[in-house]
Amino acid sequence: MEKSRAQLTWSLVAIVGFLTVCPVVMLALGSFSQGLTAFGDLTFDKYVQAYTDPALLDVIVNTVIFVLGSSVLATVLALFLAYLNTRTNIPFKGLFTVLSIVPMMIPHLLFSVSWALLLNPTNGMLNTLLKNALALDAAPFNIYSLEGMILVEALLDLPVAYLIIAPAMASFDVALEESSRVFGAATWRTLLRVTLPVLRPAILAAFILGVVRSLASFAVPSVLGMPGRVNVLATHLYEMISLGFATDYGKAAAVGMSVLVTSVTLIYVYRAFTAESEKYVTISSRGYRPSVIELGGARLPLFAAVAFLSLLMIVLPVAVLLYTSFVPYTMVPSARAFAAMSLKHWHDVLDDPLSLLALKNSLLLAIGGATLGVLLSVFVAYVTVKVRTRASGILESLTFLSFSFPGIVIGVGFMWFFVQTPLYATLWALLIGYIATYLPYGVRPMASAFVQVHSHLEESSLVCGASHLTTMRRIIVPLLVPGIVSAWILMASMFIRELTLSVVLSRPGTEVLAVQILKFSDDGLWGKLSALGIIMIVISTTLVIAATFVGMRFKAADN
Amino acid sequence: MRTLFVMAALLLAAQAHAADKSLLDAARKEGRVAFYANITAVEPIIKAFSVDTGVKADYTRIASPKFVATTITEFDANRLSADVVQAPVPVLELLKARGILARYPSPAAAGYPDWARKDDTMTLFGIEYVGLIFNKEQVKAADAPKRYQDLADPKWRDKIVMANPANHPSTISWLIGLKETVFKSDAEWMKFVQGLAANRPMFVASFGPTPAPVESGEKAIAISMPKYIITKAPAPLDWARLEQPLLGTPRAIAVTSKAPHPNAARVFVDYWLSKKSMEMLAKDVGEYVLAPGIYPPVEGMSTARVLPIRELSDEEIQKWGGEFKKIFALK
Repeated sequence: MEKSRAQLTWSLVAIVGFLTVCPVVMLALGSFSQGLTAFGDLTFDKYVQAYTDPALLDVIVNTVIFVLGSSVLATVLALFLAYLNTRTNIPFKGLFTVLSIVPMMIPHLLFSVSWALLLNPTNGMLNTLLKNALALDAAPFNIYSLEGMILVEALLDLPVAYLIIAPAMASFDVALEESSRVFGAATWRTLLRVTLPVLRPAILAAFILGVVRSLASFAVPSVLGMPGRVNVLATHLYEMISLGFATDYGKAAAVGMSVLVTSVTLIYVYRAFTAESEKYVTISSRGYRPSVIELGGARLPLFAAVAFLSLLMIVLPVAVLLYTSFVPYTMVPSARAFAAMSLKHWHDVLDDPLSLLALKNSLLLAIGGATLGVLLSVFVAYVTVKVRTRASGILESLTFLSFSFPGIVIGVGFMWFFVQTPLYATLWALLIGYIATYLPYGVRPMASAFVQVHSHLEESSLVCGASHLTTMRRIIVPLLVPGIVSAWILMASMFIRELTLSVVLSRPGTEVLAVQILKFSDDGLWGKLSALGIIMIVISTTLVIAATFVGMRFKAADN
Repeated sequence: MRTLFVMAALLLAAQAHAADKSLLDAARKEGRVAFYANITAVEPIIKAFSVDTGVKADYTRIASPKFVATTITEFDANRLSADVVQAPVPVLELLKARGILARYPSPAAAGYPDWARKDDTMTLFGIEYVGLIFNKEQVKAADAPKRYQDLADPKWRDKIVMANPANHPSTISWLIGLKETVFKSDAEWMKFVQGLAANRPMFVASFGPTPAPVESGEKAIAISMPKYIITKAPAPLDWARLEQPLLGTPRAIAVTSKAPHPNAARVFVDYWLSKKSMEMLAKDVGEYVLAPGIYPPVEGMSTARVLPIRELSDEEIQKWGGEFKKIFALK
């Protein structure tokens, strides 16, 4: 058994390594090469220039506050929502699914622009409303600030955190909490001393993913940070590559290497914190079913808090998008604006053959990519959780390699790599690049689900004569359905709106939605951009509903 | 004598026609042409080209910061599929230095100003002209700036939006263009820049996001491109008619040295520089083009003075980006 596990581990190291190491190696080469490509004479100048920049210290301070602030906020909010949804008798539970998923489908650029329209200090719609209602002299909020950036980034990262924490919470062993209560602990104490510690792998995974995401995030720093003059790593890198016409991605890659080291260190910290994985097992051979906590008098106030969050995360931004798609240009809502509404932007987008081709390609990449990505993730997660060897540690770090590189640079790494292969300028390049970069979206939910499945189940199956594959198919996978659905949803909705790689690798015939959106954004055509954004949301919603439905069917069949 | 002259002209025209015909036939045999550029809404020209010539054109739009990196990477790996490239002149200069551009003085640029034929490799066809765009519902035309210096007036405090002068090459070049072309002395220019900084303009990443805050009334005026008056119609945008000239980075077009479809590339460049294409570019996209007698349908633009900015080296752009970062107190 050990031998076959080692074989599986090393095969996966080879596959994942090939997918994720190649672009990073190209970037590493570029960072040590003279000139503008990956191959040139050896130089350390790029590192010297990048790290002796006097602006770097301020950038690091801002980045740390931004990244930690948004990751902590996203994780706490996700915990709060996941707990309420899976463990309590809060009403309208369907709202949580919507809440956890819709913001993930809104392109980050649009989400940030919506918030600028709502909370800019000059004429932000909410600010104006509050100013008039409370007779204030100045706008109460300024979204162009570090606090504003943290809020918006946290709201964007919340769905990912939720989709990692919620399945873990859903498959929680009731016996642990019941024991705590039997010994006289109150609900709060049980939550703090039992529930949260047992969920540590999922919480840490959500937090780390949040850190890595916000480190790589460009939309929020660009749309909200730049006007507020708050420079973080992503905008610093942007400045580095946009200053001049001969863009030196090698220098940006030199800075990116520190981000990579930080991320890989975080992965090891995560592994150390969850080393004794047996502690977190909650699905053993006994029956399990999470108990429902009666909220009593707190039921309605807590529901109001969730409703408020929905308003912030979905209703307002989507309403702004819808509104923008109907008005002829960017207008503050007024009788005149409503009178000027039309379907022009919608017609323009739906009559545009390129937008339709992009839609088809994105859909293909989302469905095909997410399916293949989840398949790979199941094996990778199995090895990283159940085979705690040095090789499995390497595998876990490898999954984060491309993902943790700043988005603005990793696309070029892929271009430097793919141009050496026949896959360049094909949909295959996009498909492989997507899976390689966003593998953590598949692996993390799967891993937190695997952590909770006791190895006794697997061992019993093997003892009874089933093969590894049969054990995986008949025993493990059915228990992992919530994790699989989460992973598929995360990957598919990411691939539908993927921009970082697409903007570099997309060519005529392989156009995708996000690249069309970027074109509209570059030209300041917010109406068309919003119409296409809404189409994107509708497609993602359909995919999510389909995935959830298939997941439910699987579970029903299993039961 | 006159008859002789007319006959010679007819002969030349017939030869040119024959040459055009054989070039077009060769292009049709090649079947398609690939065009790399970063220019707005040129799909109608691409479509018209395919209809008129029978050669299919594929347009790949590559954002400016990735243009050089992409083209050089593909060229070095012998994978450059672009037959024709179009970009600001400094970008094409970089490509030319690496041997990526072919020699092709297009006959279609015959009526263009002399300086448009920069050399045998590239032809300049337009200027990315920068102007002051204001919200005409918030600002009366009479109150709009008359000179660049007026932007430093405290009445514009917190009312300006512009691309970040610390990292947007076109804005940096524009500010340096003002220093070298418009202002009488460096001291006068520096006073203007400091006054502009004191008015605390809001910064965005590029020209693209500059009109939206003006349309919505979040800001009153933008350092932006007058072409948005066309592309964003019916937004209440107007441009400030200044006593001084408008400036912009010139755009150029060229054939690549290892073009997979060299004949189609030449036909495409000729078509691009033709009156028909330039009219479409001016009329539909609001571009300022160099073809004689063609202007964007922006009121007053046909009489405006629009000048090209000198090409700045990357070292100059980086140096001035750093200076503006200090002047505008950007962290």
